[in-house]
Amino acid sequence: MSGLCVPDQNYNVFYMSDTRLLDQGSAPQRFARGWHCLGLASTFADGKPHAIHGFGSKVVVWQDSNGQLNALDGYCRHMGGDLTQGTVKGDEIACPFHDWRWGGDGKCKQIPYARRVPLRARTQRYETAIRNDQLLVWHDPEGSKADHDILPPQLPGLDEGEYTDWVWVSQDIQGSHCRELIDNVVDMAHFYYVHFAFPTSFRNVFEGHMATQFMQSKGRPDKAGGYGSAELFLKSEATYYGPAYMINWLDVDYKGFETEVILINCHIPTGPDSFILQYGITVKKPQGMDDKTANFIAKKYAEMFGDGFLQDVHIWKNKVPVQNPLLCEEDGPVYQLRRWYEQFYTDQADVVPEMTDRFEFEVDTTKANEFWQAEVADNLARMAAEDQEPAEASAGGEPPIMSGT
Amino acid sequence: MPSFVPTRPETLEDQRLYTQARLVEVSCLDCLAKVGVKKNSDHHTSIQWSTEALAACPEFGRRDPETGRRDVHKACPRMMASIEAAVRDGIVPIGAYDGY
Repeated sequence: MSGLCVPDQNYNVFYMSDTRLLDQGSAPQRFARGWHCLGLASTFADGKPHAIHGFGSKVVVWQDSNGQLNALDGYCRHMGGDLTQGTVKGDEIACPFHDWRWGGDGKCKQIPYARRVPLRARTQRYETAIRNDQLLVWHDPEGSKADHDILPPQLPGLDEGEYTDWVWVSQDIQGSHCRELIDNVVDMAHFYYVHFAFPTSFRNVFEGHMATQFMQSKGRPDKAGGYGSAELFLKSEATYYGPAYMINWLDVDYKGFETEVILINCHIPTGPDSFILQYGITVKKPQGMDDKTANFIAKKYAEMFGDGFLQDVHIWKNKVPVQNPLLCEEDGPVYQLRRWYEQFYTDQADVVPEMTDRFEFEVDTTKANEFWQAEVADNLARMAAEDQEPAEASAGGEPPIMSGT
Repeated sequence: MPSFVPTRPETLEDQRLYTQARLVEVSCLDCLAKVGVKKNSDHHTSIQWSTEALAACPEFGRRDPETGRRDVHKACPRMMASIEAAVRDGIVPIGAYDGY
């Protein structure tokens, strides 16, 4: 075929037929099946209705008199009133339009102006669970019962007060499908280019509803911000439990000071190309440290990982979707990760073993690190030289002296 | 219905190349598990398990389901040793074709 020219429909220009074309594909028409975190449970426990955008609609969350958190579709089945702007009356959420009262089980309990409630007055209810101080809801377009066996694990020590309060951040992402976020699980090289860290060891395992990344990295000395810093070493175990909730255990060594950090990285899809990214940070309280100082450290780590997410977001906002990524030998298993991710967008009966069978992948980081070490050394030398220039110019125009590194 | 629908037929071939091509079957020296293995270089390893292989592996069978949810990244040392032996014996070639 080489030598033939074929017209490309998208751009109306001619490419050689052996030119690699991007297949942007089409985004799914549905949202993933599984547990999704809506935020810290405490934020919903004030007796008021709360609005969470999600699953192409709005979810209303409120606490009833038993302390139970309830989640329903946010729009009243009567005339479409916005329940998130309603009022909690007793255990029910009352619509601001005609005061229809909805219970946490999804049934309409009362229409104060009517003799009786229509039998069919049932709305969409999300089953809820509390994990790690957070409210999770089960979403399945097929309407299955929640699978509590695949809830993310409860973090040992959290309820026992061994960790700081969560620092919790929520961010609206427009113009990207949430699979872009998932792809990072296997993306070894972006840690250097986007987050300014050298991944020295990188491994992925997918099994069942879990997808894991195991990484050891050190910060780039030629960069500040993100994870850039010669004195920052990370050992990171990050696992997605289902499509939208990741626990990332991080052993951080910064200037010889070791900290155990836990990062929750979760999201709620809002539309075909938008999602709400949420992340939370908690730090294991070092022995002998007062809570105030420990909370301060957690806040600092939240800022650092927040910077990291912003670096990702900038890339996502400007890239295109790719169904056919072209990989080199040093890349992680993007295709296998996406095969795993596909299970959550497939009817339960159509999930095939390839999607859930265990798969292990060790990335070879040797060539990458050889190159990156040399590149960083060059950058440091250039920076050192540039720093010296002004001083030397004022000292009489001596040529800049290259540093030894 | 597939969800992320490719618009080019070549994409299906890419999916096959990256997920299935060049996998060599390796049998565990200690149990009945058989996995597909690919090594693009000395330090790279790709291991495809099947439902049957996982069920045959006593190492994974012994893993505590509670801690297992955090330890999912840990490999079976017996299978890793079996793969190393297969590499030494030349059963698993080392090297990549064109990024796969």
